[in-house]
Amino acid sequence: MTDQAQSTPAPQQLLTRHGTGLIALGVLGLVLVLLGPLFLDRFTLNVLTRSMIYAMMAITVDLLWGYAGILTFGQSAFFGAGAYATALILTHVGGGAQNFALALVLSLVLPMGLAALVGWLSFYHKSTPLYASVISLVVPIVLTQAIFAGGSFTGSSSGLVGYPTMKLGAANYFRLAGVALILFAALSWVIVRSDAGRLLVAIRDNPLRAAYLGIRTQRVQILLMTALGGVAGIAGFLYANAGRIVAPEIAGFGFGTQMIVWTALGGRGTILGPAMGAIGIDYLGAQLSGAMPYLWQLIIGILFVVMILFMPRGLAGFIPRRRGGAPVPQLGALPDHMQQRDSAPLLSVSGMRKSYGDFVVLDGIDLEVRPGELVSVVGPNGAGKTTFLRCLSDGTETIEGRVLLSGQDIAGRPPEAVVALGVGRKFQVASVFETMTVAECLRLARVTQERPSLWRRAARITLPRAVLDILSLTGLDGKLSEPVSGLSHGMRQSLELAMVVAMQPRLILLDEPTAGLTKAERTLIGEVLIRLTRDLGYAAVLIEHDLDFVRQISKRIVVLHQGRLVMDGPVDAVVNSDLVRSIYSGVAHD
Amino acid sequence: MALLLDIATTAALLFIVAAGLFVIFGVLKIINFAHAAWLTIGAYTTVLATGMGLDPWLSLPLALLVGGLLGALTEVAIVRPLYRRPLDAILATWGLGVVIVQLITLGFGRDMQMPPALMGGTVNMLGTPYSSYRLFLLAAAVVLGVVFVLVLERTRLGLNAQAVIMNETLARALGMNTGRVRMITFMLGSAIAAVAGVLLTPLSSVDPSMGISWLIGAFMLVMVSGTSVAALALACLCFGAAQVLVSTWVSPILGSVTVAVLCAVMLRLHPKGFARD
Repeated sequence: MTDQAQSTPAPQQLLTRHGTGLIALGVLGLVLVLLGPLFLDRFTLNVLTRSMIYAMMAITVDLLWGYAGILTFGQSAFFGAGAYATALILTHVGGGAQNFALALVLSLVLPMGLAALVGWLSFYHKSTPLYASVISLVVPIVLTQAIFAGGSFTGSSSGLVGYPTMKLGAANYFRLAGVALILFAALSWVIVRSDAGRLLVAIRDNPLRAAYLGIRTQRVQILLMTALGGVAGIAGFLYANAGRIVAPEIAGFGFGTQMIVWTALGGRGTILGPAMGAIGIDYLGAQLSGAMPYLWQLIIGILFVVMILFMPRGLAGFIPRRRGGAPVPQLGALPDHMQQRDSAPLLSVSGMRKSYGDFVVLDGIDLEVRPGELVSVVGPNGAGKTTFLRCLSDGTETIEGRVLLSGQDIAGRPPEAVVALGVGRKFQVASVFETMTVAECLRLARVTQERPSLWRRAARITLPRAVLDILSLTGLDGKLSEPVSGLSHGMRQSLELAMVVAMQPRLILLDEPTAGLTKAERTLIGEVLIRLTRDLGYAAVLIEHDLDFVRQISKRIVVLHQGRLVMDGPVDAVVNSDLVRSIYSGVAHD
Repeated sequence: MALLLDIATTAALLFIVAAGLFVIFGVLKIINFAHAAWLTIGAYTTVLATGMGLDPWLSLPLALLVGGLLGALTEVAIVRPLYRRPLDAILATWGLGVVIVQLITLGFGRDMQMPPALMGGTVNMLGTPYSSYRLFLLAAAVVLGVVFVLVLERTRLGLNAQAVIMNETLARALGMNTGRVRMITFMLGSAIAAVAGVLLTPLSSVDPSMGISWLIGAFMLVMVSGTSVAALALACLCFGAAQVLVSTWVSPILGSVTVAVLCAVMLRLHPKGFARD
């Protein structure tokens, strides 16, 4: 039972002042697109219809690139797939209501399938952002060539034209495109401000930390790409109907990069910017390119380079960003979760050996850790301590021997899957989310336990009592709405520890949690660790240099020396042994 | 026999086109999107030079010069300020590519140009008559590869470049002027690309957007090869062969994307590509 059950928190006010303004803007937009056809001539109407469809595409690019950090050149492929699915159905099967419905469904489903495939190709454990970008280049090129190869079925290089379309008339297509754009923009706006939206930014800023919070980052990225592939497909459906022509270029790499230009010029990381960028550039382009086709492209190209160099936030950079709109969330307490104290080992390492080519880092390591134990790993620099922790928390590291967690072999499991087995890892250099606030970091540490909302920010963060203790002892609870980038070194270390504990792991791995901390901070972290292990039954493996600190908090020490586990025993026996003295004074080498 | 020669010379062509990109990616770790523009510039150097009545062969050193100069300018003005924003550097070089292509279009028009060929005729290879120019390309690729290896292994610049490739921070900490290494590399990469553009003229249509069609294949080859010249050569040979076979037996249109698709799949299944770690 959580506290949450007793006091249902009021959802955070969706309509902040900022929000009210944007809703007014949305309503104004709706009025304009509904009444626009009364004032605009036919040419402008047609151009703007196209521009608004493009604006939807710019928003999809922006969600991927500006928010999730995936630079994609390939959104045009999904747009093209939707448009061609529509045109092919209407050309080869014919018009009629049921065929329009079929075309609509296909233009949603086919691009989504394609996007899921591209996502699978682009995102996997240890894939790089550059690789995803390169894949996004290949997809539209392959699709375009496939269209060329399709002969008369796909219309080859001249495309398809003259198929039956929905008989709405220019004015209603304008209204349809406008309403679709405003709805999609509003939806995007709500989502990027929700907890789920912050998750995207978290994955962009620190994918490693996200994975070690148990977030399946690749799955989130693939889902996002699939969903936005669907949106692009629908935009393609609209385009094929309103424009009455499809040509291979709309699926191509050139069009894909065009969307990046709109997004960059309008302002990535905002919703309105890219939409306005697309409409502005496409509309102006239609007006001017007749008179000076190459010059217009040239101007856009120069503007783009200058923007990237000097104004990475695009034209939206001229508008000052409002900060601190969201109120500070309240903290709620989860009752302390007593870990089961059975005598079976939680962690069991047998015969672990890790080498890079001929260089052996770890060799013949055997170790068992039971619930409630705090095991300190000591050893000189280069003894393999950090590598050891990595091999305990990332099953994709190639090792010999076995690592069992609660009896399950971690071999082949990426960090997020090992986290799911109940492991939390704190890094040597605090790994937190630099662009976020303290509260947002803590919220993210709980996403695997509490599904983040797609449409709002939680007004209340419930955390295990042990975490609340860390926060109040360190004073972090008074800094909930402050950005992490402004925190001191010690505060970051404490915050990361709080995040790890908030996941309620059964085994906590800590890599030099006290390095660079003051005496007071060190004592504090020591107390927290003692409470977690002795009172609550967590298990912990701690890497530490400071023998005095180790002596204070742990009962059992293992010594790693030159990749081997040379001692394992009670504190005093190990600390006072000749071997440890000689290792630390640098004498012994065997 | 003709098929084997096709494979060898296609691989050579891919190697020559990818070489400039490879140099830049190896050291600067950015994909230079302006590569397509350098190729185009090289080709138009030939158009310009032969238009002025110069011998087509003279366009090789000319392109080297033009490419090198533009490369140096680009590094200083665009790439260097974006050193810490690699994805933005990619975008900026792409924007530069657009600008160059539009300038060329403004200057020369959109139409296809037909500069005189560097070399004509055929040679009899074991009973099969074969284009002597393609054989020349094969020789050029081999020479280029050997020069690469020699420069990397035997010269100070090469050693510096290797140091930057392995650990740039350490190289800088040791007092190496890594900024200069990056600039020279970018200059060299651009110059090689421009020369590749000249070498393309007899085989490819010369128009402002000619570079784009070569770009993706070159990207993908560099991605699977990492920083090893041998891996690049091997990749060109394997995927060049695949391209020739698909073009011959299936469809030339699909052949043109063979390299890109195979590379993408290979990277997904075996992320290290042809490079050994």
